[in-house]
Amino acid sequence: MENYLEVNLVRFIHMLRYAGIRIGSGEVLDALNALSLLDLSDREAVRAGLKATLVKRSGEQQLFDKAFTLFFAPPEAKEKDYARHRQDQAQRRQLLAKATEELTFQGMPLKLSDSEKTVYSGMPEKDKEKLLDYIKKTAEGKNIEQHFQPILESVVKSSLAYWRKSLRNQLNLSPLPQTGDQELNALLASAVRNGGDYSPALLEEDMQNIADKDLPRAEALIRKLARQMVTRLARRYRQSKKRQQLDLRKTIRHNIRFGGTLLKLRYRSRRTQKPRLVLLCDVSGSMARYANFVLQFIYGINDVVSQIESFIFSEDLERVTEYFQHGDDFTSTMLEVINRSKEWGRGTNLGAALKNLRLKYPDLLTGHSILLIVSDTKTMALDETLQELSLIKRIVKDVVLLNTLPRGDWLSSKSVRSFQGVLRMFPCNTLSDLEKVIRQKIIIY
Amino acid sequence: MSYAHAVSIGIIIAVSSGGVRSLDVSIANLRKAFLSAGYITDEDVIITVFLSLKLGKPLLVEGAPGVGKTELAKVLSQVLEADLIRLQCYEGLDENKALYEWNYQRQLLKIQISKETACTEDLEQNLFSLEYLLERPLLKAIQADKQVVLLIDEVDKTDEEFEAFLFEVLSDFQVSVPELGTISARQIPVVILTSNNERELSDGLKRRCAYLYLDYPTVEREVAIIRAKIPTVGEKLSLEVARAVSLIRDSQEIKKKPSIAETLDWVRAILALDQDRLNLVVIEQTMAMLLKTKADLLSFNKNIGSGRLVEYARTEK
Repeated sequence: MENYLEVNLVRFIHMLRYAGIRIGSGEVLDALNALSLLDLSDREAVRAGLKATLVKRSGEQQLFDKAFTLFFAPPEAKEKDYARHRQDQAQRRQLLAKATEELTFQGMPLKLSDSEKTVYSGMPEKDKEKLLDYIKKTAEGKNIEQHFQPILESVVKSSLAYWRKSLRNQLNLSPLPQTGDQELNALLASAVRNGGDYSPALLEEDMQNIADKDLPRAEALIRKLARQMVTRLARRYRQSKKRQQLDLRKTIRHNIRFGGTLLKLRYRSRRTQKPRLVLLCDVSGSMARYANFVLQFIYGINDVVSQIESFIFSEDLERVTEYFQHGDDFTSTMLEVINRSKEWGRGTNLGAALKNLRLKYPDLLTGHSILLIVSDTKTMALDETLQELSLIKRIVKDVVLLNTLPRGDWLSSKSVRSFQGVLRMFPCNTLSDLEKVIRQKIIIY
Repeated sequence: MSYAHAVSIGIIIAVSSGGVRSLDVSIANLRKAFLSAGYITDEDVIITVFLSLKLGKPLLVEGAPGVGKTELAKVLSQVLEADLIRLQCYEGLDENKALYEWNYQRQLLKIQISKETACTEDLEQNLFSLEYLLERPLLKAIQADKQVVLLIDEVDKTDEEFEAFLFEVLSDFQVSVPELGTISARQIPVVILTSNNERELSDGLKRRCAYLYLDYPTVEREVAIIRAKIPTVGEKLSLEVARAVSLIRDSQEIKKKPSIAETLDWVRAILALDQDRLNLVVIEQTMAMLLKTKADLLSFNKNIGSGRLVEYARTEK
């Protein structure tokens, strides 16, 4: 491609968009206009100009700076990056080819995705051999025929899923950028490699797979989301599109002192009742890692408004509101909750927890309260749970469930389908889901 | 000189200068003007302001409380020698308060008077004339003869509906009053919106604006600010204070980070106690100028402590 200003700008914008920055075409024009006003040999001016016209969210400022440094790097550095990218690509292809070659069943390659193959090549040699040995033994077993392959594949896949989880801190599993522009791909790959926080993947990553090094960033993000949610909840007035309505009765009464001439008008102001939030968070074994994030969210909310009642549950219910009210920092609060809680990491019985909530804390469940449940819906005693839910739903204003199962798995899960009949359900599997929950105003009052 | 003559000269002046008055907008000029107005800032800020003036776009300034967002608008009005019209946003702000409202009281009085003095003129038309219109900040900015700086402060506090209305006004700079017709701006005002980022603003509004994110100043920058605002301060003290404040701001546990104004207050407090260096005693005595909630003071003592603060502030880089 030719080295025009416009072409380069558009490629840079592609890079920003890939990183998750939303840029409209109007903004592209603004950026071009801005460049025409600036001295193009002044690197800092160009940077500031593009930043002012393209990046409009506080969280994206650093991302932009990083992308700018990479994109407008000296040609030698760029060439080096490009070479390294080609080398990486070749290496990766080689690894994948090797994995495809090794993972075969009676001469046929197993149907595995590229990321699964990457996990395989990252496994320790000993465990690789174990897996291969298992496949080989199965293949040589008596009466084992070709149609047995899918079953073997799913066994291998679940083993790889386990490894994926335990290798999440070492492997780079984010898919390679595909933009159709080799040089841009190289830049993006080097961006992903150099800084953990360049990967747009963090927002889309299943929360239980977030690597430890990304935790601080995820935590900061959650705190911000919580604050935005609280601001929304704390609003008392809601304006309608219509002009304000006159309150005739009040106006007349007020103006009696002027002999009935309507000198001062009184308006009807709408005051919305603040909802009472009751949070119920699943901390059973399957939810442990999500719970860490969700509790952080609760902590963020409690930090600002204290009228939120929070509970955790697994086999039974436990009130945790007071832990969050001491004003301690998050780590010590979490430690306290985990140390004192009897419920952490046990099985799940949502029905029993709901029943206890209803019986022990009847004054929390009123017509004003909204029950927010965070769970993966995998519970014992499904029928009782459903019964209990519909009972509670009649008392409270609304019941909302944030589901940590990935959206794709909803259809195949019986419990999800039966829960959906009773309450409103939203995905809460990734940080971007959590963000959407807040943006969509799922809590209506 | 006749009145008509004066008016024609006025018009000629207005036409000839075009765009922004008095100051020829260029990056170098802005830099100089900001400096002489005592507003010490980064090159980024100057370039962004320059672009927003040149492209004729509103400037949206975001950042934590106390980094000088509102101050930027004030200084800009000073630099451009334009009046500052301020619209402070709050929850529940509506068009009546922001744009215009009919002066009901005056209209009613007029009706009362005209009842008694059997007047024949066309009362209704008179009642809805500019005379009875209460101008609120937005209309005032649009109607101004001379270009003004319109500061829309803390726009994140308003409701989304108002935000939508706002960007309608900001894109056309005209307002229609049903009884009067459409009023278009005589001069496109320089618009600055500020936000504390409590709520994500809508994409539509952001798209129309140039964007500036103001961060807390670096240590060097803050030293420069302290020395510019409080000339009597010693070099050592200003450096120590700036370093101490940056340590406090970096702490995750402090909820309300000290603003630039609070840093300046702190320096003044230290000077008032006749101290020219930071030490344990003076920190204990004056910390309340910097941290203003009990929780923050407690967590300062728990997580940082005066001893570490002095040590950090005094170590050379």
